[in-house]
Amino acid sequence: MDSSARSVTHDQPTPAFRSTRRRLLAAALALPLVLGGAAACGGDDKGGGGGSNDKVELSIFWWGADARAELTDKALALYTQKHPNVTFKKTWQANQGYYDKLATLTAGGNAPDIFQIDDNAISEYAQRGVTLDLTPYSSNGKLDVSKFSKGLKEYGEVDGKLVGIAMGENTQGLVYDKTLLDKYKLPVPTTGMSWPDFIKWAANVSKTAKVPGTQDPSAIYQALWVYLRQNGKDLYKGNQIAFDESDITKWFQMWKDAGAQGATPTPDVIHEGNDSSVSKQLVVTGKADTSWVWTNQMPELKKNTKNDLGLMAYPGDPSAQWARASLYFSVFKGSPKKDAAVDVVNFLTNDPEAGKILGTDRGLPPNLDVRKQVEATVTDPNMKQTIEVQTELATKFGPTSPTVPPKGHSKVKSELIRIAEEVTYGKATPEQGAKDFVTAAKTAIGQS
Amino acid sequence: MTMAQMPVRPTEPVPPVPAASRRGRAARRRRREDLAGYVFLSPWLLGLLGITAIPMVLSLYLSFTDYSPLISVTESQWVGLENYRRMFTADPSYWHAVRVTVTFAVVAVPLKLAAALGVAMLLNRAMRGIALFRGMFYLPSLLGGSVAVAIVWRSMFSGDGAFNAFLAIFGIEGEAWINDPTWALPTLMLLAIWQFGAPMVIFLAGLKQVPSELYEAASVDGAGSWRRFFHITLPMLSPVIFFNLVLETIHGFQGFTSAFVLSNGTGGPVDSTLMYTLHLYNAGFVELNMGYASAMAWVFLVVVGLITVVLFNTGRFWVHYSDSEER
Repeated sequence: MDSSARSVTHDQPTPAFRSTRRRLLAAALALPLVLGGAAACGGDDKGGGGGSNDKVELSIFWWGADARAELTDKALALYTQKHPNVTFKKTWQANQGYYDKLATLTAGGNAPDIFQIDDNAISEYAQRGVTLDLTPYSSNGKLDVSKFSKGLKEYGEVDGKLVGIAMGENTQGLVYDKTLLDKYKLPVPTTGMSWPDFIKWAANVSKTAKVPGTQDPSAIYQALWVYLRQNGKDLYKGNQIAFDESDITKWFQMWKDAGAQGATPTPDVIHEGNDSSVSKQLVVTGKADTSWVWTNQMPELKKNTKNDLGLMAYPGDPSAQWARASLYFSVFKGSPKKDAAVDVVNFLTNDPEAGKILGTDRGLPPNLDVRKQVEATVTDPNMKQTIEVQTELATKFGPTSPTVPPKGHSKVKSELIRIAEEVTYGKATPEQGAKDFVTAAKTAIGQS
Repeated sequence: MTMAQMPVRPTEPVPPVPAASRRGRAARRRRREDLAGYVFLSPWLLGLLGITAIPMVLSLYLSFTDYSPLISVTESQWVGLENYRRMFTADPSYWHAVRVTVTFAVVAVPLKLAAALGVAMLLNRAMRGIALFRGMFYLPSLLGGSVAVAIVWRSMFSGDGAFNAFLAIFGIEGEAWINDPTWALPTLMLLAIWQFGAPMVIFLAGLKQVPSELYEAASVDGAGSWRRFFHITLPMLSPVIFFNLVLETIHGFQGFTSAFVLSNGTGGPVDSTLMYTLHLYNAGFVELNMGYASAMAWVFLVVVGLITVVLFNTGRFWVHYSDSEER
């Protein structure tokens, strides 16, 4: 063996490895920065309060589509107009990859002063001490949550600390293609319909319109969640799961039977739906008549189809649904400009003009006064419909909202997709799937 | 090849006078030149240390902790071998990912090499416009690891994609390919095999090195084309085959981009395309268990290193270095 060949042994693995390593370890390298950053802001907040005239630049980071960026830009420009000393460094991107980026920024000690977050991640970020506890600000009035709709403030609390301010409210929404139903003179589904009736309705749609009546929601966690609550269970209770194998078996079995009746698409199309972003849901691509989304996503769906869309609650008793914070803004605990950042969040949630600009893009405005005003002035017919349906649903919500999902929730979600699809592809029975899911969910949230 | 193999010290003419004072001056000058060499190397050295070596050592440390990117290293807890225990005994997806990755490498790498060799032989002839053909066959590899090509693949091989539309012309009802757990991995392999350009170019260079006298002599002795292939081309090409095999095996184990794009980062459907690196990435950046991900990365490094060593040891039995060649 000659020497040039030998050198290959040593050399090739290293550069080949570098890309993986590099990605992983860029984060590690940045650690000294974290330490430095943490030390720099160990004490109480010093600079840049809302009323001061010092020049402050706040970084703000969110995910969303172009429309959201435009609206957010405008609202922030309005803040700068009112507080000329405060400017913004804005960053936004699509949902996919957002959390990777946020985690990397945080690892580097460069988390944005204000960042968007949702209930998939807020517990993780709060328990790891990334988010600022906003309780003191809400008690001294610098952050007003008194006008928030019922339960919305509480849905931003983790371990008794207020860590996220809801920027919008939504709830589960079933969107159906009304044009298709009208074309075949089929009845529209209605809120309060039982699950078996809904499946029967969907099977009838499939038969008549030759388009599957509904996307199979067995992999969709918020559908399972509603179903569990209707049966006196829940997805979580604190840091524990609040369901057992038999609940999940029934859930999987129900959709397996629905598939056998022809109510749902073939497994590969179901997977495609589970794998797609909001704008490519099956109701939009014409591969099913209904999709399982959140109410505030309806206008986004509408943008991608010419057909008329209808919106209703998920099947079963709608009182199991709740006012969910569709997403929050949180403030970075290590930010040197906390007061200023909190004031911006306060402005975005409570200022009537800002509320008017932001509309319902992130969900219904959390402040009820602002919401009323937006309702009165909104012109987009789809937003109008969303507001009407959701306001109507809100009157039916039950007395108890679930708490924010615990750390590990996003893993629970992906495990549900994997296991539910194993059942739809016929690679596991509902019983096996249920057993696997209970184990996987417990592991994901660290429940022994 | 990296710069490390370049001579650091320029060969300098040794002054002929061996006087003691002169010798001291010469030594000083040599030291200065050594220093200059390192200064010129420094961008690469700093890169090696800062981007590769130090982070690698750090990650070895992290693999024994519960580090998450959301906390600082000092806050993370030492957990000993817990990450490794979990990997081998408590994470079913881990073993699944290992199976997927091994299947991918074992099937896709030989097929890719066979395709590369086949095409290289076709292109190794004097023909008008051969350079154009060579360019065209190399093209897919230029797009190689790119996200764009994976996205094209994704839309071509979905249930209602272009490929099934093509099959439909012949009345064939295609599978759902990337949306079918049985076909998703083969579709991914096909993408890898299609990008055979890099080994193909190396094979082509190797084929040009085979002395034509050998073929002529064999023909005179009555050897047919198969015999010429098995008794001349393959042995003469074995060092090149070996080089490509090692490189492509390592490459195959590392497949990430196409699996990530085709499955939207999930490794689905039903984990059928959950490559090792994808599982690792998700553990680190989605579930934020960076300590666990580091442990996975280290096991990966060791295993791929071992596989390479094994390949080198088997190479002894089948790689033929021609003695008559003056390399």
